Amino acid sequence: MGKLPPSLRSAKFPITLLKNPPSIPPQLPQSPPPTIQHPHIPKKIPKKLKSSNTQSRNPPSITFNSPNLSEAKTLFNSLTKSSKSPPLDIKFCNSLLQSFSSISTLQDSISLVNHFVKTQPTFSPDRSTYHILLNQSCKLPNPSLSYVHQILNYMTTHNCPPNKDSIDIAVRALCSSGREEDAVELVKEFCHKNLPPDSYTYNFLIKQLCKNRTMSTVDNFIKEMKEFSDLKPDLVTHTIMIDNVCNGKNLREATRLLGVLIEEGFKPDCYVYNTIMKGYCMLSQGGEILGVYKKMQKEGVKPDLVTYNILIFGLSKSGRVKEARKFLDVMVEMGHFPDAVTYTSLMNGMCRQGDPLGALALLEEMDAKGCSPNSCTYNTLLHGLCKSRLLEKGIELYGVMKDGGMKLETGSYGTFVRALCRNGRIAEAYEVFDHAVESKSLTEVAAYSTLESTLKWLKNAKEHGLAAQQKNETDQGGAVSFLVLP
Amino acid sequence: MLPQRMKKAITENPKKHANLIELVNLPSTLREFMGQSQTSRLGCFMRVWSYIKANNLQDPNNKNVVNCDDKLKSILLGKHQVELAELPSLIKLHFPKQPK
Repeated sequence: MGKLPPSLRSAKFPITLLKNPPSIPPQLPQSPPPTIQHPHIPKKIPKKLKSSNTQSRNPPSITFNSPNLSEAKTLFNSLTKSSKSPPLDIKFCNSLLQSFSSISTLQDSISLVNHFVKTQPTFSPDRSTYHILLNQSCKLPNPSLSYVHQILNYMTTHNCPPNKDSIDIAVRALCSSGREEDAVELVKEFCHKNLPPDSYTYNFLIKQLCKNRTMSTVDNFIKEMKEFSDLKPDLVTHTIMIDNVCNGKNLREATRLLGVLIEEGFKPDCYVYNTIMKGYCMLSQGGEILGVYKKMQKEGVKPDLVTYNILIFGLSKSGRVKEARKFLDVMVEMGHFPDAVTYTSLMNGMCRQGDPLGALALLEEMDAKGCSPNSCTYNTLLHGLCKSRLLEKGIELYGVMKDGGMKLETGSYGTFVRALCRNGRIAEAYEVFDHAVESKSLTEVAAYSTLESTLKWLKNAKEHGLAAQQKNETDQGGAVSFLVLP
Repeated sequence: MLPQRMKKAITENPKKHANLIELVNLPSTLREFMGQSQTSRLGCFMRVWSYIKANNLQDPNNKNVVNCDDKLKSILLGKHQVELAELPSLIKLHFPKQPK
């Protein structure tokens, strides 16, 4: 077993959330990670909302199943004829186009727009219409930027020249297809046309480059942008870069970058410190984590909820649960209310110290304080209980999880199945396997290979007289075997 | 930490599970039970396990034991009773390692 139970991976706010791993339960009531909280994200949200709103506002929502242009036209014509209400509004047309563009070719999408214009006298394409086409052109597998240029020219000739939003959309679409080089190329082209990206696009691209390309690419890009435009790294950029080296566990470089940041005249804020603290969490260096916290206080930077969550997570992870527990009170004093992440981190620390009953007590405490546990919390507890051979309590907890429709995580599933098998409760292990597959917690392959290898191990252990013999129904739930898993 | 772990899991898995999901031509005994000529080891297990559940073949006194009906017997070495714990290994017998 790994040292870090997977249930905690999603509780570990800073990085995991950025990558939206499937294990994050949607109800996770936590503040976004430091880098996301910077003002460069809110900009994107309205866009997203807009598109989802248009779709939800138009029941019945139409989705195209065939990339065939003439079928799409027929469908559109039937819609315009059947609706006695006033002609279709532009939002509806755009959402139709959006749906069609996700499966069609670029040429067909353009033809569909032309068809809209021809058949609907009131329709005239707006910026969103062109942006849908632009987005599609960026996502098409094409080694060159020719499709993108085609749409950009199309926009210019139709009296809707590309603006900063267009750059942002193109850059994000290109990056999502792993075409960072093309995105850089496009941004440079725009710079030459005196249309530099805004700082959000700039920072987004730097983040992508940090994540997926070498540091020299990032440095080059920053240098070129300084030349071609007046864009320079701002505090957000620096935070992104510090975050990047922290993820690589290179805290020495992070400290150096912090120095650079101060030299350039920025004052490190809460996000910067949170990022560095998170870096030390990865290394389980409790002392250093406390050090950063003290430095924040010295510099007069006010810690936020995320700071305390990182602090408590890191201290728990470094085995300093008692100190972590103290910060639970400190954070309340400072006016921050511990959330599910805080409690789960602390519970995980307690479970690792072999005190799952203390963690269970904490579950009651958090419930009493009106903070509802999430699936991470339960997975952590299930893992801890099974590890400490408190199988009965684990089964009870599993029942609650199942009733609550919570998913099992890979780690706690494995621990639970092993604990059941070790105690000769094979049928129950099979039932857990079924539940894991049905609730889509794990893939069939993953769930089965765990079950199979556990049973294989059990057979070996029995041959060596190590495991509990098969129990009969009469003494089920009886003695616990003392046996250490490999 | 996380990215490396994920990378590791992604790169390791295809090899590790290849023999679980690889489609294999079935021997005639199994073909009759499955009703198809090709399946994977995982698919076969899922089929057998759902067959057991659908026909209530688990022993009511000890759920860990399966009382085989004739159909099941034909693919599980003719045993009257099998333990759930040995089900995967019994199924694996039908899927011998391919010599390379």
